[in-house]
Amino acid sequence: MKTDIPAPAAGAGPRRLAWQRRRRSAVRFWKQYRTHRAGLVGMTALTLFALVALTAPLTVGSDVAGVTDAPGRPMESPSGEFPLGTDRFGRDLLGLLVWGSRVSLLVGLLAAVLSVAIGTLVGITAGHFKGAYATVLMRVTDWFLVMPTLVLAIALATVMSRSLGTVILAIGVTSWPTTARLVRAQTLAVESRPYIERAKALGGGHRHIMARHVLPNVMPLVLAQATLMVSGAILAEATLAFLGLGDPTVVSWGGLLQEAREAGAVSSGDWWYLVPPGIAIAAVALAFTLCGRAVESVLNPRLGVDR
Amino acid sequence: MSTQVHGNGLSGPRRLRSRASRLLAAVGAAALTLSAGLATPLNPAPHRAAAAEGDSVLTVAVAQSVDSLSPFLASRLLSTSIHRLMYEYLTNYDPRDARAIPGLATRWESSPDKLTWTYTIRSDSQWSDGQQATAEDAAWTFNKMMTDEGAATANGSFVTNFKKVTALSPAKLVIELKTPQATMTALDVPIVPKHVWGKVTDFSEFNNDKSFPVVGNGPFVLTDYKPDSYVRLKANKDFWRGTPKFDEMVFRYYKDQDAAVAALRKGEVSFVAGSPSLTPAQAASLESEKDIHVNDAPGRRFYALAINPGAKARNGQKFGDGDPSLLDVRVRHALFMAVDRKAVIDKVFQGHAVQGQGYIPPRFSQYFWKPSASQELAYAPQRAARLLDEAGYRRNNSSGKRLGKDGKPITYRILCHATDPNDKAVGQYLKEWWGRLGIGVTLDCLDNVSDPWLAGTYDLAFDGWSVNPDPDFVLSIHTCAALPATPKDSGATDNFVCDKQYDDLYTRQLSEYDPAKRATIVKQMESRLYDLGYMNVMAYPNAVEAYRTDQIKSIRTMPSDAGNIYGQDGYWSWWSAVPADRTGSSDDAGATGVIVGGVVGAAVLVGAGVFFALRRRSTVDDRE
Repeated sequence: MKTDIPAPAAGAGPRRLAWQRRRRSAVRFWKQYRTHRAGLVGMTALTLFALVALTAPLTVGSDVAGVTDAPGRPMESPSGEFPLGTDRFGRDLLGLLVWGSRVSLLVGLLAAVLSVAIGTLVGITAGHFKGAYATVLMRVTDWFLVMPTLVLAIALATVMSRSLGTVILAIGVTSWPTTARLVRAQTLAVESRPYIERAKALGGGHRHIMARHVLPNVMPLVLAQATLMVSGAILAEATLAFLGLGDPTVVSWGGLLQEAREAGAVSSGDWWYLVPPGIAIAAVALAFTLCGRAVESVLNPRLGVDR
Repeated sequence: MSTQVHGNGLSGPRRLRSRASRLLAAVGAAALTLSAGLATPLNPAPHRAAAAEGDSVLTVAVAQSVDSLSPFLASRLLSTSIHRLMYEYLTNYDPRDARAIPGLATRWESSPDKLTWTYTIRSDSQWSDGQQATAEDAAWTFNKMMTDEGAATANGSFVTNFKKVTALSPAKLVIELKTPQATMTALDVPIVPKHVWGKVTDFSEFNNDKSFPVVGNGPFVLTDYKPDSYVRLKANKDFWRGTPKFDEMVFRYYKDQDAAVAALRKGEVSFVAGSPSLTPAQAASLESEKDIHVNDAPGRRFYALAINPGAKARNGQKFGDGDPSLLDVRVRHALFMAVDRKAVIDKVFQGHAVQGQGYIPPRFSQYFWKPSASQELAYAPQRAARLLDEAGYRRNNSSGKRLGKDGKPITYRILCHATDPNDKAVGQYLKEWWGRLGIGVTLDCLDNVSDPWLAGTYDLAFDGWSVNPDPDFVLSIHTCAALPATPKDSGATDNFVCDKQYDDLYTRQLSEYDPAKRATIVKQMESRLYDLGYMNVMAYPNAVEAYRTDQIKSIRTMPSDAGNIYGQDGYWSWWSAVPADRTGSSDDAGATGVIVGGVVGAAVLVGAGVFFALRRRSTVDDRE
């Protein structure tokens, strides 16, 4: 934590000083992160997935999702031409898997960012203002916390139109309460420190204190939380798509599973239709969790190293 | 034809696959389910039929739940099929050629002026509580539907033209008509016992599911019902046509077709209903299974693309928000000309369907009509594009999208059933075919399509109806009279079609008693409907269903050669089904499962034992 370094005194290049400090802490972070083997594994896997997703337009192209010019016959088993077989339209499943990673990662990341942003906003303001405002806000948070997230997301996705934006929104607005609780607790801890009182005495307003003093101090927690959130969001996206609440014309991993189920792949034993997307979802979710855990324990030494 | 393609072309390679691959898929699915943390969509452990020992039970897996057990309210296929088993109708259909044959009535004749029909009611049909079924019951049933609006909900269309129904004697029923009506030997109205139903006060609320067994005179008697779970019926020993061979029938609801197929494999159910049809993959994998027979028969359904012609009510009030460009017949024709129906059959149905032509499926050969070569809207994307240009919907030079009259790019909303995989699949094809024409498509896949459907808030919709041997009903839903009275009401209309020429033909066919002449008029109606372009039939899906031959020895299809079993016009399949001799061969799978489970369990226990032993040894120095 960086709270032990007071705001630098005005003088020769405060900006440069700040940059140096940031670089030092980044190096320190990386040194510690390197000691977590699981974190490194997760990061490698993530880099691989990100590369696959980003280069998909070059490697497979958007034509892979086209049904009218599908190259194979429906539900072909794996062969040299189609390493993972074909789907019910005769499309190449390997290509679809690569293409689907874009949607799954995009939705996972955006939904996690949305959820963490809402959580942070609610947490910091509730921790800062206290009083009736905080009470009302935290009761709302509690309400969202006890609501089954999936049910709420399904309800939202049902009433809104079927699109990626809807799915992102549905996941984002239902999964923020944990972050809000965590951030509020951290905000309360930070605000009880003497330097906040000093800032107040020097005339710092609400906005200044929240943005300049509290936010930087809860940021590490938020980062770790966001990384952990992504895996949850990817699973939630796959779940919603699997339940048929996604856009049926968009290729995603959850959507592939839903199609496989509808085509009767489970009972007829067409494993190549089901297993690869399932493994891909599990692998990405695991990679994000490993990274998140590593980041968490680096930023919060109290958690201990062996986790 | 389609079955041939299917048998030779598609199922070959899949036959070689073993049980192991299926296991692998199941493991994969299970692993995923666990990792994703979802509740499986599969049913919880299905309710076991509590049959008396030795009774033969025919269990049918259905993918539909019962809407109502009251014959006055029920409209779903499952419910009406159950009513066929519970009650007798005046007439029945011959299982061979769907001709009208005696049901509760043994004879019928019309007066020379075609306005009075006299039915002779049989004397050997008794209600299950011992009372005699008479003409009085039939007269009461029809009169109730004519006088009580709540009782006219489901079958009211049959009696709108009735002037008076009287029972002259217990064996003589007389129906007087306002105008001649050709459907008098195809009145699909279950006759209910007056002495039971006379006590009902509100017919729009009473669902006939309170006291069991329900009094009836069909081949089976309803004994138990649990909503969204099962319907149980017992054989009626005194049924006049003969006692059914099975002692008991259970219709069990499976929300998930794959779960139903798995239950069939394990022998938990005897029959999987083909409504919706089994998917090509399911059919192919079941065909290779021992003791399972897949019945792939020409269906009685059509599968169409309906277009919203601007929803309006009978009072002239317009509502809904259908795209105005669809009111141009050239646009409608262009859209359908860009639909490659052959690809739909080959790719989506994989041969388990026949290419769509006229409104009525070819199975009803008497009424089947197909467009002439000059009339047909064959697949021709270039001509479709030209037609759209002519209609004034030109491509925007920069985006390539066609613009509507309001200057905005055209995007049609297609209403699709989230529960029907075919809708989504065909929808994806439409999106690409029409995308090439410069027309955007959004697929609105909903579990419940009826709200936007009745409100007219859609542009196109996937549509399908089961056609009865008498086509009157499916023809009537496109008449102006079927429109809702006001925008608030719901009419019998399918997609708000209202055309004067079609209506005139409809009235003519209804009063035509000569079958050949009537068929000619019906074909003219189909031709008119085709030209209007509001109902574009893409395919006639086959009924693909499967049953266990070690539980059902034989069962009658309708029509006898190449016909369906579930959802027949009549009770023939279930009444004729013969139970197979019990040999216990279906228990193999279960036994294997137990052995595998036992071995795995033992392995886990041994492993755990070894692990703990080693652990103890390794920590032996630390222990005191």
